[in-house]
Order: sequence, then structure tokens, then C-alpha cells
Amino acid sequence: MISEDLVSTCAELERQELTSPTGEASPQEYAQLLAIYLCQSDLCNAKFLWKRIPASAKSSNEELSLIWKVGQCMWKRDYPAAYAALQAPWSDNVRHIMTTLQEELRSRAIDLIANAYSSIALSDLAAMAGINDREAERISNERGWIIDAETEMVHPVRPPPSSQVITSSEGQLNKLTDYVSFLEN
Amino acid sequence: MVSGLEQFVNAVQSFSSQGNYNDLCEVLRKSTDVLSKNLQHLDNVLETLDPFQHSLGFLAVLFVKTSNLPTHMTPPSGAAEAAGHAEARALDTLVFSQFQNFIDQCDSSQARLAPETYSEVCHAITRVLVEQKRPHKGIDLIRKAIRKIQKHESQLTGAHADLMQLCLLAKNFKPALEFLDVDICSISDEGSQSEAKYFLLYFYYGAMIYAALKKFDRALYFLEVVITTPAMAVSHIMLEAYKKYILVCLILHGKVLNPPKYASQVVERFIKPLSSAYNKLSLAYSTNSCEEVQQCLNLYAETFNRDGNNGLSKQVLVSLRKKNIQRLTKTFLTLSLADVASRVQLPSPRDAERAILNMIEDGEIFASINQKDGMVCFHDDPEKYNTPVALQRLEEEMERCTELDRKILEMDEKFLVNPAFIKKQQCGSTEEDIALAPAMSGQGSSTFTM
Repeated sequence: MISEDLVSTCAELERQELTSPTGEASPQEYAQLLAIYLCQSDLCNAKFLWKRIPASAKSSNEELSLIWKVGQCMWKRDYPAAYAALQAPWSDNVRHIMTTLQEELRSRAIDLIANAYSSIALSDLAAMAGINDREAERISNERGWIIDAETEMVHPVRPPPSSQVITSSEGQLNKLTDYVSFLEN
Repeated sequence: MVSGLEQFVNAVQSFSSQGNYNDLCEVLRKSTDVLSKNLQHLDNVLETLDPFQHSLGFLAVLFVKTSNLPTHMTPPSGAAEAAGHAEARALDTLVFSQFQNFIDQCDSSQARLAPETYSEVCHAITRVLVEQKRPHKGIDLIRKAIRKIQKHESQLTGAHADLMQLCLLAKNFKPALEFLDVDICSISDEGSQSEAKYFLLYFYYGAMIYAALKKFDRALYFLEVVITTPAMAVSHIMLEAYKKYILVCLILHGKVLNPPKYASQVVERFIKPLSSAYNKLSLAYSTNSCEEVQQCLNLYAETFNRDGNNGLSKQVLVSLRKKNIQRLTKTFLTLSLADVASRVQLPSPRDAERAILNMIEDGEIFASINQKDGMVCFHDDPEKYNTPVALQRLEEEMERCTELDRKILEMDEKFLVNPAFIKKQQCGSTEEDIALAPAMSGQGSSTFTM
């Protein structure tokens, strides 16, 4: 899950960009916003942000294009390339966001594998999660996935759909009242 | 100061202090000429007026100023022209800050008495920003301008189209979404000739924004609004919307849905024949062959490019590949990846695996891939509609329906007490729709279905 912090920072950055006297943000702000969009998997908005960042900002802050490189890999859904692009030396400005992004990407990849594969090569799992084979084995064991040592195949288990919506019975009753009064009239 | 202007200022000040805005509007309507003749003194006039107390007068001056702004589409070539350009730009900046000042401080209730002038000023400011290629500077301003004049948030104003255009050009869509996501249920009555144009433009630009963000269902709805707008003649906006309608339909549904019956005859008679390349594409799509679609794309590449539909037309091909894979799930329970690749014409089983993986990620099919045997197993939709989530969705949908019903009842009541409507009913005229139309538009706000 994306932390509340990032969501509010995102809104604040968007507001700053629009209300600044020039209608443009600083390269550092652009870098943060771009990274946050990627964290939220909001690739469309990230793409258009990249397109609207002025050329001068792009040339003065090389980190911007490094961040977008990650975005491009995500757009193509090339997980291994995205992890490689994430290895760039990030400045303090965006480091915490990029770390979150890496974790986010990994957990998304592992969830996807659990949903999409009934068996997958250990090496493929490792590549998609951006970890080495040993780590991949550990993660598989942690989740109770069976590893076939002979063929080096992992058998992921589909997680049970977790859905927790908490509604008070009072709220339910309120809604029911609304429906009935609507239907009666 | 010239006497005509003095009169103007005095009238504005005295009528405003009396709160006699109706007479003031009358005076303002007649003073456009005086103001236009004294362009160079208008800045002084603005300084004597207070944007809040004399909102209407301030707006009238801004209107004359903005409608007399020079257009400078051509980039400066000579030194003299460059100087002229800089001067024009300084002029724009001044008007721009005056407008900003006005929007920040003006009195909404006064501005609502002159919605047409208000919109015209917004259009002019937008035009200047677009010409100067600085659309991003206007987004916040026009956004505030809309909020200021709207009576409620689901009311469409003339400035909506301006905001959409600025957002599109600035490639910044989030500020537009906060307006687009609210369904329109009334239109501010500006009584101007170009009202229909800005209505169409709002929905057309809105559709483009949704399509860019890949929210195709909303995009399709917006395009549908454009092509079902009553019309007697072909509008270019409608024609372009129809082309995009075909593309978005193919991407979303894999076939072109017929426009609703209440669409104007114009669509069937004139617009359809004018978009032949798009009809050919939908024909090629219906063969389910990626090759045919590709050929069609190559053949009409120039047309698609000229219409600015390059990106959408390419996505049509991607959607056909997905549809072909989806079709397999209807026939087979399990299939080898190699078979999938050959059936949907992908180069290798590995590509097929990737394609299926991506579709699973997007929730477009339900399947599990078995790398060990190189097989893929298709499942049914696991949604059994027996979870609290499904209940919550149902509740949300019901809430929306209740709300819609309430609005329709409200509109219905408004019609029932409309004198023109009652009169027509008593006469029992058969052509009441036609006769009623002008009477209806004379109402405070014309209605529009959601």
C-alpha cells in the first residue's frame, strides 16, 4: 500500500505546480512527482508529466530521465529492466520514494505470479521479483509454495481473495431505510 | 478623461451602489462602443473600479480589452516586429493580471448576471495563452473562474471547454478530471451563438482526456454525447468525434456499436460517409485478422495521422490481439502456449506467455500458466457476487440510480409547470417538440439528460 504521506505530498506537488507564478515547478519537485506517480502505478499521468516537463528542467536535473527510464520499463512491463534501472544512485530528494517504488514493484510482481502461474521456473520468479535464486527460494518457502528441486519449478499457491469491508450494522440499516423510502415514493 | 468614459464610470458606480444591476446591465450593453473607442484609457478606468463592488463594470471593461487584443500567431522575424511582439506580450501580461485580480475578488452574484461576457473573456484569455504556447499558466485561473460562476458543481459553463483545451495542451489532466468526473445536469444559459460549439468542445476535449488516460468507457460516453447532440448540419466537432467514437468502440468493445436511435439523422446521412477510412478499419477488425487490420492501418496511415488519431488507431490492433486471446478462453479449457502463439499470430510461445500474463494482470482474462508443461489453463470469472465487496458495489450503484431518479423527477416537475408546455398540451398539437424547443431555451437554464 502507498503510504498516506506520499498521497498528500503528491496532491501538494500538483497544487504547487499549478499555482506557481510561472505555471511550472522546480526540477526537484518534478522528480518527486514523477517518482510518486510511478509508485502509484499511475503510468498514464507519469507519461504526460514527463512530456510536459520543460526541456530546461530535464537538462538541469539528470535524475529526471533516470526516473523516467524506470517508468518506461514499467510501461513495457519489463520487470528485470525496471529493477536494473532502479539501481541508479538516487539523490536524497527522491531516494525514499524510489525505495518504496522498488518494494511496491516487487510485491506487485509476486502477487501477479501467485495469481497467474501454477508453475514457474525459479529463475523466472527471481527475475520478475528482482532478487537472486536464494532469495526466491526463501520467499517461496515463506509463502508455502512447493519447490520441485529436480526441475527447479515453483508451484505458487493462489491466495484466497482477501476482502474486508467493514460496515456497521447501523449503517446497513440506514441504507435499507433509504431504499425502502425510495421505493415507496 | 474623456466625457463618455466618465459617464460610464459614474453609471457603474451609482448603479452598483444602489444594487440596481438590471439597469446597469442595460447601460453596459450600450457602452461597448464608448469603451472600444477609448482603449488607451481603459487601464485607468479599471483602477477606479473595485473588482468586488463593481464586478459587472469591471467585467465589461475586461471584455472590451480582451476582445481587442491583437493576435500574434506569426513569430517575430525582424527587429521592429520583435519589439512589437514584446510590447504585445507586455500588454497581454497586464490584461492577464487584471483578469486574475478580477477572478480572485469578483462578486459571483454580479458575474452571473452577465454569463456571456464572462465566458467571452475566458475564451479570449485562453486563446491568447494557446497562441503564446503557455497553456499551463491558465489552468489554475480558468479553474477558479469556473468555480466562481457555477451555481452548483454539476453545471456546465462556457469556460469548461477552455479548461479542457488548456489541460490537453499542457498535458496536465488531473485538474480537468475533477470537473469531468462530475456528471453534468444543467447548462448555464448564456444565450450566445457559440454556446453549442463550447458544449460540443467540452465533451470532445473531455473524451480526448479520458482516452489519453485509457479510461475508454468514460471517453466513449463523452463521444456519444457529442454525436447524439441534436443537429441539422454537420459540425466538424461532431465529425471528428464520430471518428474517435469508432476507434474507441473498437478498443473497448471489439465492434462498433450503433449510435443510439435518438442521434441526429445527420450522423447516418453525412458523417458516416465522410469517415470511410474508419468504417474500413471496423470492417477489417470484424474479420478478427490482425493482418487485415495492419494492412488497413498502413493503407490509411496518412488519414489517421492527419486526423490526429495515430495513437488510438494503433491501440485498435493491440485490442484485437487481446480480443483474439479472450475468444480462445471461450473455446478451450487448456491450451499449450505454442498453440496460443500460432492461433493469435504471435512469434513465439514466450510472447504468448507474456501477453497472457499482462492480460491476467489487467484482469482481462482469468487463467493460470503452467511453465512446467508449457500450458495455460483458462478459468471462469472467480467473482461469485457473494462477498461484502459485491454488496458494496451494488449499494453504490443503487445510490447512483436513486440520485438519477431524483434529478429526473425534478426536471419533470420543472417542465410540468412551464407555461409553454401546458399551453401546447391543451392545444394537443402533434408537433409540440419543435414548437416547444424555442420556448424551453428561454428558461433560466436549459436541461440536459445525464
